[in-house]
Amino acid sequence: MQTSSGSQCYFVQLQIDSFLDGELALAQQEVFMGHVHSCQACAKELHFARNLYDAVMDLPLVDCSDLTLEPAHRISQLGRQPEPIPARSPASFWQPINDWLSATPLSLRLALPALALTVVVISMSGELLQTEVPLPNQQAGNAAVDSYSAEQIQKALQDLNLAIEYLNDVSQRTEVMIGERFVVTPLQESLNASFDRSRSNRLNEGSRVMQNDPI
Amino acid sequence: MLKQYQQVIDQHRQRIFSFAYYSLRAKADAEDVTQEVFIKLWQHWQSIDHLKVGGWLMRVAHNAVVDHVRRQKPGNENVDSYAEVEQQASDSVEGAELDQEIYKVKLMEAIQTLEDPFRSIIILRDIQGASYLDIRESLDVSESQVKVYLHRARRKLRENKTLRDLFNSSMAGVTEPDRDHGTIN
Repeated sequence: MQTSSGSQCYFVQLQIDSFLDGELALAQQEVFMGHVHSCQACAKELHFARNLYDAVMDLPLVDCSDLTLEPAHRISQLGRQPEPIPARSPASFWQPINDWLSATPLSLRLALPALALTVVVISMSGELLQTEVPLPNQQAGNAAVDSYSAEQIQKALQDLNLAIEYLNDVSQRTEVMIGERFVVTPLQESLNASFDRSRSNRLNEGSRVMQNDPI
Repeated sequence: MLKQYQQVIDQHRQRIFSFAYYSLRAKADAEDVTQEVFIKLWQHWQSIDHLKVGGWLMRVAHNAVVDHVRRQKPGNENVDSYAEVEQQASDSVEGAELDQEIYKVKLMEAIQTLEDPFRSIIILRDIQGASYLDIRESLDVSESQVKVYLHRARRKLRENKTLRDLFNSSMAGVTEPDRDHGTIN
């Protein structure tokens, strides 16, 4: 055998894959084999490539043990039906709110509704205390007096709006909102003011003084 | 639905496990990937196209393997020891057969060290005999890219010095019993 030029060897060796895959045209195959028969290096390279690919193709498919798939079988047999994945609407109204809540610390997420509820309940109770609490023996006589005046409702709404303003502030300043100064103190002052108002109203009206202390 | 699910598992488990096994360096990791793939199949059962479940499974397996490789810290790979495999081989076979076993182990190692997608394409095409269309669907590449990657992958394997040395020594008929093969670490 004779060794051909380097460039010829280079092109022939580039075609080895195509030759082994049977992708060369007949004329190309003849040129290819003609060169391989006359070039020891390329013949050896072809032999190596063929041997290598045969070895790769001889690698067996392997299987895992049944134990490996046990969790998959168990999940399906437990009767847990797979749930369809809900499509996420791109411009949902609630999306920004959800995103904001997701980014907010858990303590804050719990604190907000608790705070809102507390404010509403206390405001309502403050207003209720302004009305006369009927004694048991007076209940029958006062059964008809259950409604609130327009002024009382207005005052409760003002307190509620005040609480909402605080909640808005809280949402903008997440870092310090759990702090005693920011949340508790202003809220306490607000509630005390509410109680003071109701107390003074009652004093003006000459009725009995409330015994409940403000928060 | 349960029956269909189990049929799909039986039909594809070998293909998925083989893909993971030849892609990763440890049987335990391949088992983890296989388990993960079939659990995901159940979780997405109602949203996938069941006519293309094979391609879907292979795509999930490919992603899981890529994630697994990415999570492995360099030098801390969980690999099956080459020495153990060689010992197992030498317990059952001798001489030329042992050389074949060693060659096979080194070949598997060479495949595992290929970069993706070369590794995946060699496994899918040359070991599993998948069609270009199947590979295209599994790896989300075009058919012409599959062919190009396959040729490059084979060339990279041919450039592997260990495989070439083993081939040369077998051609020369020389057996070196004291040759140190080292371990796959």
